Amino acid sequence: MSAKAPRVFFREAIARAIAEAMRADPRVIVLGQDVGAFGGAYREFEGLYAEFGGARVRDTPVAEAAIMGIGVGAAAAGYRTLVSITYMDFVMLALDPLVNYAAKLRFKTAGRLTAPVVLKTTAGARGQGVAHSQCLESWLMSVPGLTVVAPSNPADAYGLMRSALRADGPVVFVDHKRLYPIPGNAPASDVPVPFGQARIARPGTDITITAHSFMVQVALTAADALAKEGLSVEVVDLRSLAPLDIDTIAASVSRTGALLTVEEGQLTCGVGAEVAARLRERQGGLNVARVGAIAAPVSSNHVLEAAAIPDVERVAQGVRALLRARESGHPNSVCSGGGPGAV
Amino acid sequence: MNAIERLRTMMLIRAFERTLAARPDHGFQLLSAGEEAVAVGLCSALQPGDQLLTGGRSIGPALARGVDPKTVMAELLGKSAGVNRGKAGRGHLADPEHGFFGAHAVVGGNLSIAAGVALAQQLSGQPNIVCVLFGDGAAGSGALHETLNIAALWKLPLLFVCNNNQLSVSTPRRAALAPRRLADLAAPFGVPAQTVDGMDVVAVAEAIASAARGVRSGAGPAFVECESERFGPHSTTARETRDPETLERIRARCPILRLTGDLELAGAVSPASLATLEAEVEAMVAEAVAFAEAAPYPSPSEALADVG
Repeated sequence: MSAKAPRVFFREAIARAIAEAMRADPRVIVLGQDVGAFGGAYREFEGLYAEFGGARVRDTPVAEAAIMGIGVGAAAAGYRTLVSITYMDFVMLALDPLVNYAAKLRFKTAGRLTAPVVLKTTAGARGQGVAHSQCLESWLMSVPGLTVVAPSNPADAYGLMRSALRADGPVVFVDHKRLYPIPGNAPASDVPVPFGQARIARPGTDITITAHSFMVQVALTAADALAKEGLSVEVVDLRSLAPLDIDTIAASVSRTGALLTVEEGQLTCGVGAEVAARLRERQGGLNVARVGAIAAPVSSNHVLEAAAIPDVERVAQGVRALLRARESGHPNSVCSGGGPGAV
Repeated sequence: MNAIERLRTMMLIRAFERTLAARPDHGFQLLSAGEEAVAVGLCSALQPGDQLLTGGRSIGPALARGVDPKTVMAELLGKSAGVNRGKAGRGHLADPEHGFFGAHAVVGGNLSIAAGVALAQQLSGQPNIVCVLFGDGAAGSGALHETLNIAALWKLPLLFVCNNNQLSVSTPRRAALAPRRLADLAAPFGVPAQTVDGMDVVAVAEAIASAARGVRSGAGPAFVECESERFGPHSTTARETRDPETLERIRARCPILRLTGDLELAGAVSPASLATLEAEVEAMVAEAVAFAEAAPYPSPSEALADVG
């Protein structure tokens, strides 16, 4: 990674991807609260309203269900809509058009209609409390017909957004509050990131960590710390949760012999549970453990928020505990947990 | 659609649904006996490029819109020759090429979808309108409030038609919905609204045509409430909750008998011409059944086709 490479913020990568798609295709439109002149909660739509106008970059009332439905309906009728739902917690209000209609439309009409709609939403904890902090992407992974992506850096945000705005069916694009302040390498223009392709974010030989979104940054920091203890950690950035790139994960784990899944959301029926189960079906004995949120709401109280979600130290503890278990000769044990000291 | 075509279409819907329901393999259906005038009056006021979206009571509206009865019957019986290869069924039937954008069996679920289709029409500068047909059951949902607001704000070419058949499964409309008239729900948004006798196909057609003219002119959405009666229970598996006397009184208001009587008085039909109409629709239904019976079921591998 060259220090001279141009750096951009997450919001710039997203705005650029959308702007390029809108220039290339007049049928791309954006709907959502404060997406217009205001430019989005994180300025991730900045410049779009000025360039494309209010007919294509539409401010909406606070009506997530209807806005999702309108985005889906316009997509089914030939447009390509990006619907912004500010926080992932509010996606619950929009699940009917997304899950009952968009995800099933191509199937139920036997291919006569499809809904190329992108739902962009922001997950993750950053001091905003129990209904503004959740990571619910694993809920959506289980819906046949939905693509779910969750980039960890600006270049992937750009590339996955470009892919999302070219996709045939509905895509959920999940970003994260804590990713917005972190700059990264600028994406190469017009290079989409394909769905279903994980990325080795850091090569290593002793253990594989899978993560997505902001937890990739946490895992990379933990890997740096563990390197000082002589542990070589490979970090696989999932990027795409549905479809899931089991091939890349399996290849990594076959090299390292151990897997720690890391996510900010709940462990029960979570991303890590799915990764571990699919990997276990693919190959035999598996040293695996999961790190995720404790089974509690995420408070706006900073002490309680920090207690609820994984951090660098908890990930490092997870790695150490799993490698100790492997050395002590319990190769098939699945250690689950996620709370303080629970791994 | 002239008066005879309206009568024939209402008779077709009645005969089609009766034949379907009599079959042991009819599955789970929501029928519309008593409500034919709403579907037919509505569709007689739409134009070919318009799109209609409905709730799950979709058979009548689909036939009225001109979807081929053969492919509808095949769809309802789960056959590959169905309009959606037997995958959609009554709840999700869609034939956009014939202006039937589709049913969506989640009550109220199609309201915002229809607004999105209307937005697409508006953005592409087409002169066509979108109509969403929903029941009184959907009138209590937040989806209606949200969609009316945005449709009014953006002047979407969207016509809201509420088929108020007085019952949501077993719950009477008066026990579920506070407004004096359901058309009153449109008033706060400045959306022109009217209530019409849904048992009178002529009145429905006139009301819809008048509302559609406004929508087509770019004035924004309009709302028509059609007060109708459901002659049977909610579905082919649901219990009837009304007593026989009530049902008898309701069924006496049959929209087909009403139009037939009016046409007889006007000398537009005779017993002989009515018999001919009856034979025509029975032949269409028989042809639809034969078509469906001859078609294969999808192979199990189709369960994974067109996902995503």
